[in-house]
Amino acid sequence: MRDLLHLAWRYLAYHRAKTVVLVLSIALILYVPIGLRVLVRQARAELASRAASTPLILGAKGSPLELVLKVLYAGRQDPPLMRYGEAERVAKSGLAQAIPLYIRYRAQGDPIIGTTLDYFAFRGLRIAEGRQMTRLGDCVAGAEVARRRGLRPQDAVVSSAENLFDVGGAYPLKMRLTGILAPTGTPDDRVIFADLKTTWVIEGLAHGHQDLSRPEAAAGVLARKGANVIGNASVVEYNEVTDDNIASFHFHGDPAAYPITAVIALPRDEKAATLLMGRYEGAAAAHQILRPIEVIEDLLRTVLAVEKFVVAALALVGATTLATATLVFLLSLRLRRREMETLVKLGASRGRIAALVASEIAGVVGAAAVLAALFTWATAAAGANLLRRFLIE
Amino acid sequence: MRLWWLTLGGLALVLALIPACSPRKITPAPARKPVVYTTNYPLAYFAERIAGDAADVRFPAPPGVDPAYWEPETSVIEAYQQADLVLLNGAGYEKWVERATLAASRLVNTSAAFEADYIPLKDAVTHSHGPEGQHTHAGFAFTTWLDPHLAQRQAEAIREALMRLMPERAADFEENLRALAADLAGLDRELKRITAGGRPLLASHPVYQYLERRYGLDLVSFHWEPDQMPAPGEWRRLERLLKRRPARLMLWEAEPLEEVRNRLAGYGVVVVVFDACANRPAQGDFLTVMRENLARLERALAD
Amino acid sequence: MIRICDLDFAYPNGPFRLRLPELQLPRGTHAAFIGPSGSGKTTLLFLLGGVLTPRAGHIWAGELEITALEEASRRDFRLRRIGMVFQEFELIEYLTVRDNILLPYRLCRRLRLNGAVVRRAEALAEKVALGDKLDRFVDCLSFGERQRVGLCRALVIEPELVLADEPTAGLDPASKALVVEALLGYARSSGATLVMVTHDGDLLPHFDQVIDLGSFQEAKP
Repeated sequence: MRDLLHLAWRYLAYHRAKTVVLVLSIALILYVPIGLRVLVRQARAELASRAASTPLILGAKGSPLELVLKVLYAGRQDPPLMRYGEAERVAKSGLAQAIPLYIRYRAQGDPIIGTTLDYFAFRGLRIAEGRQMTRLGDCVAGAEVARRRGLRPQDAVVSSAENLFDVGGAYPLKMRLTGILAPTGTPDDRVIFADLKTTWVIEGLAHGHQDLSRPEAAAGVLARKGANVIGNASVVEYNEVTDDNIASFHFHGDPAAYPITAVIALPRDEKAATLLMGRYEGAAAAHQILRPIEVIEDLLRTVLAVEKFVVAALALVGATTLATATLVFLLSLRLRRREMETLVKLGASRGRIAALVASEIAGVVGAAAVLAALFTWATAAAGANLLRRFLIE
Repeated sequence: MRLWWLTLGGLALVLALIPACSPRKITPAPARKPVVYTTNYPLAYFAERIAGDAADVRFPAPPGVDPAYWEPETSVIEAYQQADLVLLNGAGYEKWVERATLAASRLVNTSAAFEADYIPLKDAVTHSHGPEGQHTHAGFAFTTWLDPHLAQRQAEAIREALMRLMPERAADFEENLRALAADLAGLDRELKRITAGGRPLLASHPVYQYLERRYGLDLVSFHWEPDQMPAPGEWRRLERLLKRRPARLMLWEAEPLEEVRNRLAGYGVVVVVFDACANRPAQGDFLTVMRENLARLERALAD
Repeated sequence: MIRICDLDFAYPNGPFRLRLPELQLPRGTHAAFIGPSGSGKTTLLFLLGGVLTPRAGHIWAGELEITALEEASRRDFRLRRIGMVFQEFELIEYLTVRDNILLPYRLCRRLRLNGAVVRRAEALAEKVALGDKLDRFVDCLSFGERQRVGLCRALVIEPELVLADEPTAGLDPASKALVVEALLGYARSSGATLVMVTHDGDLLPHFDQVIDLGSFQEAKP
């Protein structure tokens, strides 16, 4: 057997161009459907587990999938916003714990999720290095973001201006990175977390500036109406929260009217979930409440349907390729008739010759299988990234 | 040959490993006494009374600090983050909470039930940005607990929160609350009796709004600090006021400077210390401090 | 010793017919088959080697009757006991010189390829001036070199019977000398029987026995 394998190996090595083409084409035929299958399975597992661990999502009416992907993966599509007051309403109802999320701003491309500490408890996020954020302007980074950007606690993270020309809108806020989260293998590794209120500071809804009632800020005063001082554009606004200026940070208007992206609702029990969902039913409702797993299953059904179609097409291509490969083999056997005769003359049996050819085929198929397995392994490793590219961003 | 089997084995292994994934494990927290943090002393006192030994009640502000203007350090905020329950006074009392990161689900605003009855501040300076800017309301008076009736409602909110945390201790909490409510009702009766005369009063600081409303006091507030001599303009304001309203008592949160006391005596105005007890007293507790307040007020009114 | 008795052979579709009533080659004989083209020299060689089977008659190699063997045994016998040198070399293009020489060991389960065999193959190659070409592929060798590879392959199994089919045809004098020297040298030193088909009259003095198949057939009309 070893001798035959040696001869087979010699044959394949001698005809390396032909061998490589054969191995590659068979490897691809094996890999493409398996890789696709792995990818789809991974997609299902990943999407389903993330969705299943998130009981209810409340958001403004709009595309359910957009909302769910935004909440679960901080996707790029921005669903319509809702008011913070609705989160308070859910919490006050006693039916569910409400975790507000404001996912709108980014820091150098990485999403900033504004939320409360409840999110950390809910997702089981743990600080691996540094400490938890404690105040406005603090943030913590997911493990992957920190690794990729080389962030350490006490580094500065600057939020990106949403629009350069929107002077009244989001200013870049220099945030203080207080901690880095332990890796979870979930999308939470790839985001930056800040207090919900900090994202409102980014938005300009809360801010800190000179005390206008003090004499040194006189230049910034536009008008005084009774006890109200109106500031002009020269008022020095702080773009960073420090221990010295934190006390000057304050909110304008009613926080209940402030924007958030969504609320993760953790219902007390199944009955509370049903009651809560009932509240947002009806075409006139301004909000939608979703069970993420249902939305994701819808998506998966589509993915599976597409997969079936693709696999059918691939089966056809595969059959064609295998037929071609067989033809190549048969033709090469004809070309090798003299070689076979030589072997017979030397005393090789038909069985021995057949085994030699079989070894060659096994070598090609085996190499193709190994290659396909490597491709599949690479796909599985890169799968999460691919999925994010295609499905979420 | 071996090489081939190794390759095939490796291939099988690779394929077998692909679907493997590691589910996240959740370890339950070990049972321990729930930790309750508060943002002022009265809430801590109420919580201690109601919880008894069922919870570990903590109020970490250093002595001498007014919790309403306190900015806790990072380590203290982290301690608040670890709490099972954080009791807030509400009415805009704890400004630092607005700027701190805490778990919203563990915050309980003890005055939420009477939000509508908050007393708006009258003479505070506000600001807005540009003529169209959103107007910031001046805020509310926040010493709600000086009205024993409101204090009792805050205590009830504390009982609710503790019950949600430890439903099995509900009966104890109920009983403890009843005792506390009786004490607060006693204060209320006393205050009603003492203030029945309806005489005009002065206050060094606007902190007694809820007391004023509940007992129909005729009260005018200044912005005088116990450790400072008021500016001459303030004294002229007092003179003008006394001409229209012959007030004979001035409530102070703490003992003023000796010279201030004497100068007030010159106008026939007697200093009465009525401690709001926002921070933990050096001696006694909330109830004894309030009873001393009442005793001082009663003595002064009787003179 | 080789013994042939009443041999009768014909190709399935062709007029050629070989009949040989009797032939004996004692053990250790160096015999040459000569004769004009088409007289059956190569056919007889292949019959002796068991590559072809006769219609009738018997061939013995020593005590073993080749013609009575099963196909598999005959192949086995050929691989292990007979060294065949072919006119057209019958080399495998995708194998190196070394692998071509060792090919019998790869084809026969009962031959064990070990270090001694490899050393023997290398020594053989050295002897026929192929020592520096062991790792070349055969298609970059000269005509004469290829024949020497075929020769080495025949001798590496240390056969007791060497059958060579015009091993010197078309070779330059130097190659021819090397091949003949190697064949005769082997036969002499090992005591093996050597049967060579040749057209080359110069070589006949080296042989104990010269069998002219042309005259042989003519002698038996």
